[in-house]
Amino acid sequence: MIPPMIRDATIFSCLLALLSTGLTLTYMTTKVPNFAHGSFAAMTTYITLILVKILKVNPYFSVGLGFILGGVIALILYQVILKPLLDRGASYIVLMIATIGYDMILYSLINILADYLNRTYKISTRLYILKSYDFRVFHQPCIFIVAPVMAVLVIVSLYFLLTRTRFGIAMRAAIENPALAGVVGINVNLTYAASWFIAGGLAGVAGALLPLWLMCNPDIGGRLIVSVFAASIVGGLTNIYGAFLGGILIGMAEVLGTGYLSLTVGTWIAPYRPIIPLVIMAVTLLFAPTGLTGIGLRFLRRSGKR
Amino acid sequence: MIPLALTFIIDLLALLGIFIIISLSLNIEFGYAGIPNFGKLLAVAGGAFFIGAVPGRVLAYIYGLLKKYDYIDNNVEVMYALGKILGTNPFMSMAMLVVSLILAAAVGAILGFIASYPAIRLREDYLAITLLAMAEILRTIGYNYKDLIGGTVGISVPDPFRWIGGELRLALAASVIMAVAIIIFIYVELLSRSPIGRTLRAMRDNEVVAEAYGKDIVKLRMKTLMIGSAIGAIGGALYAFLSGSVTALGYDRVVYTFWPWVMVVIGGAANNFGVLLGATLFVTLRKLIIFYKSNLQPFLPFDVVWLEYLLLGTALLIVLIYRPEGIIPEKPTHTLGKKRLEKIKELVEAKEV
Repeated sequence: MIPPMIRDATIFSCLLALLSTGLTLTYMTTKVPNFAHGSFAAMTTYITLILVKILKVNPYFSVGLGFILGGVIALILYQVILKPLLDRGASYIVLMIATIGYDMILYSLINILADYLNRTYKISTRLYILKSYDFRVFHQPCIFIVAPVMAVLVIVSLYFLLTRTRFGIAMRAAIENPALAGVVGINVNLTYAASWFIAGGLAGVAGALLPLWLMCNPDIGGRLIVSVFAASIVGGLTNIYGAFLGGILIGMAEVLGTGYLSLTVGTWIAPYRPIIPLVIMAVTLLFAPTGLTGIGLRFLRRSGKR
Repeated sequence: MIPLALTFIIDLLALLGIFIIISLSLNIEFGYAGIPNFGKLLAVAGGAFFIGAVPGRVLAYIYGLLKKYDYIDNNVEVMYALGKILGTNPFMSMAMLVVSLILAAAVGAILGFIASYPAIRLREDYLAITLLAMAEILRTIGYNYKDLIGGTVGISVPDPFRWIGGELRLALAASVIMAVAIIIFIYVELLSRSPIGRTLRAMRDNEVVAEAYGKDIVKLRMKTLMIGSAIGAIGGALYAFLSGSVTALGYDRVVYTFWPWVMVVIGGAANNFGVLLGATLFVTLRKLIIFYKSNLQPFLPFDVVWLEYLLLGTALLIVLIYRPEGIIPEKPTHTLGKKRLEKIKELVEAKEV
């Protein structure tokens, strides 16, 4: 028997890892923290809702659809909004404002969709959860197996993409030094667009799986974004494996920490859950602004000298 | 009897004053100093929460109401009693208003300091993320910690404008808000022309050069955020007094962070008149949308408010891409007057000789 708290923590941290890996990937390419990342996921939660409640099919079809929709949304942000700004040499502060503006557009579209579905199909589209539509595998909810498998699959395939394929190596080169990569004939814009598509896709997958375990609402993107940023900052913001680890760490700390504190201090503490990622983020910024990977590298270098 | 059209305008002016204050504070931070404060909500909510939590409690303590009632659980009774007292005592009302605003500004400055501390030494994007996260946390605390401002239910605020009575209350509130807005406008305008204003622009345009000339970037940023947050908190406090109650849910990222950003960017960053124009355009447009909402609603299968958000987001992006300097662009820095320059020149020459 697996304790429910562990199950909670595993599912949440795996989904968070998907989100923070994507966020870091876009940060590495365009050097802008994408404030719309949470809304990518919020958008695809509604795919799952539509599939389950209206089309009445298997909720896991939404993983593929979510990847595509999330990718397309992210690609639009990059190609239509950020690319023209970057070409004009806009500062990253302007880019950040642009992502907030895009977030607002997505947020209103999500709400419009929610209102529309609610009025047309008479289904609840706010504060909904689809836990009861999940299957049971080995006496466990299916999401408990799918979320970790998906997370591992994603990080392993990203590793192979970035180190074993020509395209991945071109992508890393374009991230490292766009001007030089351009000189040797790499299509920098294409690699960046691909990064954004992948990042949006990962957020889309996480969003598609979310309603099977957590209560969803149009504003879930805004609620997730603090945890996602905390995870990425703990991961160092420049390393996708760090971001993955950061996602797992923050997810575990949030769920287990809140669970443990509710048991020892009292249940009144449970709603203050968002403070945990914030505190971890603040401590990271104060004492190790380069994040987990920064500490890891320093440690490796030091031990290498001996 | 005040005619309906006039009420509409007075209401508009009150709201406009509040958003002018908030967006001017953002203009100091973003326009002049280049700090992307995505946690404007923090300061505004901080000021409003302070008004919800403290002045009423202090007054209730002074008038001995806390012996009989619990401030949160019997909020209605306490406010009724306070309303009677304040309603007949203009001096006490206005004194409470002024003292509360000053203290709210102090609270805002402290919040700005705490929230920016972890990331103040890092690149601005880390700072933006931290401020955004801190604002969300303050909201979470306000929503869940019932003793502060009544949690989910919210709390009433002692009304400093009640003594004038009936329909004139809104007019008095609007004129007080406008007066504060004008004072803050003058202050920000003077600040931008002062040496520190020029230093902030130097920091914004080239941090390394400013540092090379001996400016302490971290200290400057911290000062800016504290001033900006203090002004933002005054805006939030005035809004709390105007609406008569504070609810944590009412303070969200869209209204108190995103809207001021739209006003500043569309109006013209680093130009106070631009910000004034942006706020005026925006608030008037919103008021009109709300006014005509019922006419529009039947044609839409969703709430009109989302259409408004959609339009605002799109407008912001269009301005960013096609006219990044805003409607009224930044003007060159004001220099000293010709006479003063000549005087300085004489002084310098006298010394050289």
